[in-house]
Amino acid sequence: MSVILTRRQFFKVCTTGLATSSVAALGFTPNAALAEVREFKLIGAKETRNTCPYCSVSCGVLMYSLGSNAKNAKQEIFHIEGDPDHPINRGTLCPKGAALLDFVRSSSRLRQPEYRPSGASDWQRISWEDAFERIARHMKNDRDRNFVATNEQGATVNRWLSCGMLAASASSNESGYLTHKFARSVGLLAFDNQARV
Amino acid sequence: MPDSVLAGGVPSIPEFRPIQKTVFAERAQRLRDLAQGHAMQEYLLFASAVARAQAGELELFPDTPVPDRARLEHCQRNGLPPLSIDSPPHVGWQNGLQRLLDALNQEALPPRAAQIVTTLHDADAAALERDRANVLAGAYAEIDPGRAPFIGAALQVHWAKMALRLGKSGRSAGVEFGLCPVCGSPPVVSVIQTGGAKQGLRYLVCSLCASQWHVVRVKCTACASTKGVSYLFIEGGTDAVKAECCDECKTYLKILYLDKDNRMESTADDLATLALDMLVDEKGFRRVGPNLLLSPG
Repeated sequence: MSVILTRRQFFKVCTTGLATSSVAALGFTPNAALAEVREFKLIGAKETRNTCPYCSVSCGVLMYSLGSNAKNAKQEIFHIEGDPDHPINRGTLCPKGAALLDFVRSSSRLRQPEYRPSGASDWQRISWEDAFERIARHMKNDRDRNFVATNEQGATVNRWLSCGMLAASASSNESGYLTHKFARSVGLLAFDNQARV
Repeated sequence: MPDSVLAGGVPSIPEFRPIQKTVFAERAQRLRDLAQGHAMQEYLLFASAVARAQAGELELFPDTPVPDRARLEHCQRNGLPPLSIDSPPHVGWQNGLQRLLDALNQEALPPRAAQIVTTLHDADAAALERDRANVLAGAYAEIDPGRAPFIGAALQVHWAKMALRLGKSGRSAGVEFGLCPVCGSPPVVSVIQTGGAKQGLRYLVCSLCASQWHVVRVKCTACASTKGVSYLFIEGGTDAVKAECCDECKTYLKILYLDKDNRMESTADDLATLALDMLVDEKGFRRVGPNLLLSPG
């Protein structure tokens, strides 16, 4: 026998109900309240949990945004603070974290892949596809030139020491696992992940 | 900032905030302040008078039986609310109701309300028990909306007396998510607290016994979903009160931000923001918990 009852009684509080609510039943007039409601309009806000991207402490943050209530409407972040429920920082943030809003809104924030050819002074916008291609090409060339398969004693070491990798702070266990697999399988030793704590 | 933070530690979250003895007096005062120039001025003044009568009744504090130690331990072991609304209350609540009605100034009430007070004075015990069961079950279709606030107010004081006697020992961990760990009732609102270790944390306030318990923010208080939670409020109005709406189960509960207005009181400010309820209803959301001082009809 189940001893815990699920008591999920939801309530409908609406304009038509007001005429049969306690307000009317007790002899008060609900007219002013009803007239007021017709003039009001709702606005939508969101509170979104995230992880501060700055360092490996990985503090929890709450990001407040405003926007129309329409589905998929663009929300504008207007405030960021420490997440009071987060076990690591319990609502606190360091000065860098406290300035996250400026980071989000920065006019110099990088919003798409850009490329500056050697010798040139200007950055030019390139596609993600191009960016992946170029990075992969550079890495492959570097690895082909510098990969160390064996040491002086002839033992197999498979090191690639001329390239390093730094991963993000807000990684899940799963993305951390995949990142690690990738880095080690190509022989990278210089490898750090901000989410290591 | 708590000392434990300064010392380099992370303070633990206070999971439970027992009812305070001043709850009804503060509610009465807040309702009176809110009534000034409000579209529901008269109803808020009525609710204020009821809350003042509740404060007086709480002062009397007659012997209200509470569960013994063995019962408390049993509840805490099994995740049951010790003052469960499933156990019929001591009949003393009906005497409390009569004293509450006596404390109201009948001449200040509209004729219809005065009439209901008289009817309740003369009501037999069995009828009042039926009202009690309907209010606690949230079965507002079954109860006269004129009687509901008086019955609700009497039950609030009765449970407040018991919850006050038990204090922190009245809480049972492991009670069903979203329900009061003391009595198993749904919440009236949730409140973002300020100050010390509770700064920025969200507590649900029991609609019946006024106990407060911690629930992580940005999480539906009905279905525990963290997806599709949004906050609706009235454009150009206060942003200190919002409706926390869940797209997963289509329910909402109001959330009061004390950091934006620290004068707010759960039940009072909920009543004074009925317009928000009516607008959110039009978006298709149902309310998670009742305000016992008003039957929505």
